[in-house]
Amino acid sequence: MTPPPVQPAGTPLRPLRRLCALAGVLALPLAFLLFVQWPLRELVQAHARLANDTGQIVFALYAAVAVTAATLSGSHLSAGHARSGAVAGWRRWALLACVLPWATFTLWAAWPGIAAATLRLERFGDTLTPGFFLIQWALGLLLLLVLAAALAMALAGPPGRADPAPPR
Amino acid sequence: MAITADSGGLWMLLALAVLVVGTGLPVWALLVGVASAAAALGLALGAMAAPVLSAVPQRLIGLLEHDLLQALPLYVFVGMLLQRLSVADALFDALARLSARTGAGPALAALGVGALVAPMNGSVASSATLLGRLVAPRLGLRDAAGSTALISAAATIGVVVPPSLVLILLGDAMLRAHTEASNLPGYLMAGQRIVSTRDVFNAALLPALAVLLMWAGVACWRARRVAARSADARGQAPAAPPLPARRMALAAVSAAVLLTLLGAVFAGRMFAVEAAATGAMLLVVATLALRALDAAGWRAVLADTLNLSGALLALLIGATSFSLVFRLWGTDAWVIRLVLGSPLSPLATAALVLAAVALCAWVLDAFEMIFVIIPIVAPALVLGLGDAQQTAVLLLLVLQASFLVPPMGYAVLLARAHAPGLPLRALAEALWPYLAVQALVMGLVFAWPALVHRLDAAAPAAAAAPPASAQDLDAQIKAMSRPRR
Repeated sequence: MTPPPVQPAGTPLRPLRRLCALAGVLALPLAFLLFVQWPLRELVQAHARLANDTGQIVFALYAAVAVTAATLSGSHLSAGHARSGAVAGWRRWALLACVLPWATFTLWAAWPGIAAATLRLERFGDTLTPGFFLIQWALGLLLLLVLAAALAMALAGPPGRADPAPPR
Repeated sequence: MAITADSGGLWMLLALAVLVVGTGLPVWALLVGVASAAAALGLALGAMAAPVLSAVPQRLIGLLEHDLLQALPLYVFVGMLLQRLSVADALFDALARLSARTGAGPALAALGVGALVAPMNGSVASSATLLGRLVAPRLGLRDAAGSTALISAAATIGVVVPPSLVLILLGDAMLRAHTEASNLPGYLMAGQRIVSTRDVFNAALLPALAVLLMWAGVACWRARRVAARSADARGQAPAAPPLPARRMALAAVSAAVLLTLLGAVFAGRMFAVEAAATGAMLLVVATLALRALDAAGWRAVLADTLNLSGALLALLIGATSFSLVFRLWGTDAWVIRLVLGSPLSPLATAALVLAAVALCAWVLDAFEMIFVIIPIVAPALVLGLGDAQQTAVLLLLVLQASFLVPPMGYAVLLARAHAPGLPLRALAEALWPYLAVQALVMGLVFAWPALVHRLDAAAPAAAAAPPASAQDLDAQIKAMSRPRR
């Protein structure tokens, strides 16, 4: 991983950062759910699939926020150029140009599936555990957050003191 | 080269390489950006149909419901906790003390910690950070080049020692590659079944142990040579301070837990995901019980885990979109036709492809390789070598070797951060014995594929079954990664 890039400041990013801070805690229930499926399977011999399915939902929601968290913290893998303010400004618009068509198209293509899964409260195919539609939601959330972060970073302007990047 | 339906993917790769180096933008964003542009061009030229692109959301849903990928944040979480807790320090001190009589205690301890921790650690970067903190202060003053070489080598152990994250992801990539190869004309299954992640674990273990043992020999040789040269030669070196019993106990318990988890995965009692989750929960409980982290420390661990997991998942998402468009251009089939039509022998062609992979791995990291390059070349390699497990092990060894080649190798780049100003020549001299070991093991695996089949489970009757379809493949992935009832 390269060092974090200069982060733009500004209020549009604050709600996203708060959401990321909240989502980070999901690592704990994810670890617990995936751990507990082993004793449930070997000792209790029941509910292991329920733990697995629930873990899948938690993972999907975690992943949906994690991509944007990596963007905001500058953790994405890159060639690691030195960044002046002017270059950083150009880069923010380039980032938007890269992700905007992809996220918009994918959101457009995914929307019928998300809507249909929500309307029939889709369950997991193998186990019929309720909640598979939340994984579809996670995809929508991922794409919306990616779009929101790219737009907010492009519009937020150069870095300032009001909203510094979180410490690493 | 004209833009045709065949070579469009190559132009995508070229554009990606130029933009990654030229702009410094996040690789995942460039992956989706180049994929979008190439898809638009493909639609405009009539090289692909618009409805096929609507497969992108389904592929992304496939990632979000992928059982194996759930392990990713857990491995990262374990790596982050290990970096902040004294478990790795205790292991290092205990191993250094236990191997003090060899005259290479710290060097062997670094390899030992690398081998114990790497399978539960997130990445080469995570291992390099941890080992740099442990090794550089203890060895760096006496032998900066040797210390940096050792950190580089030990940081790559997770690339070959199962059940690391790299092996899990490569196992998944190999399953797809093997299925693709099995559908190609001229490929004989010859008693093989489609490889699973577990097959890749089994295949990688013995070559990984061979590399580790020979590296231990190299580390001993280097440490003794340095000790003989330096003023505080063997016998005059200050004795290591005694290790408190509590610290030794912590090291013993940690080693026992790690070995038990790894053993449970190999014995089939646990899935790798469960082992990672168990390791994470044990570390969480130990951290809470010992009050090793305050609230700010926990916030930092959770934030770093989310950020690094996001970086890796973003690469996967980008590569998924990129590879779909790459395939829609037909370039994957073109690469395979190129290999099939090679005037060289299959083995020579495979060696050439491996050399190309090595070149890519010299400038890319393990995850970029697994998500972008390996899905393109692995089917052709399986076809050339005729053995998916051998292909997997060779790819792992090639990745590991490339990460150790200065100045661009990924592990070397990370380890050099602990020795600023270290001359490249000195580092290269310290690294060459480790690379020679890699070359030797690679040569052995290339010449004697049986070496990777010593731990094979008995192949089921399905070996004679017809090649699997894409639906079979998806079902197989799900079946393998689901917990058993």
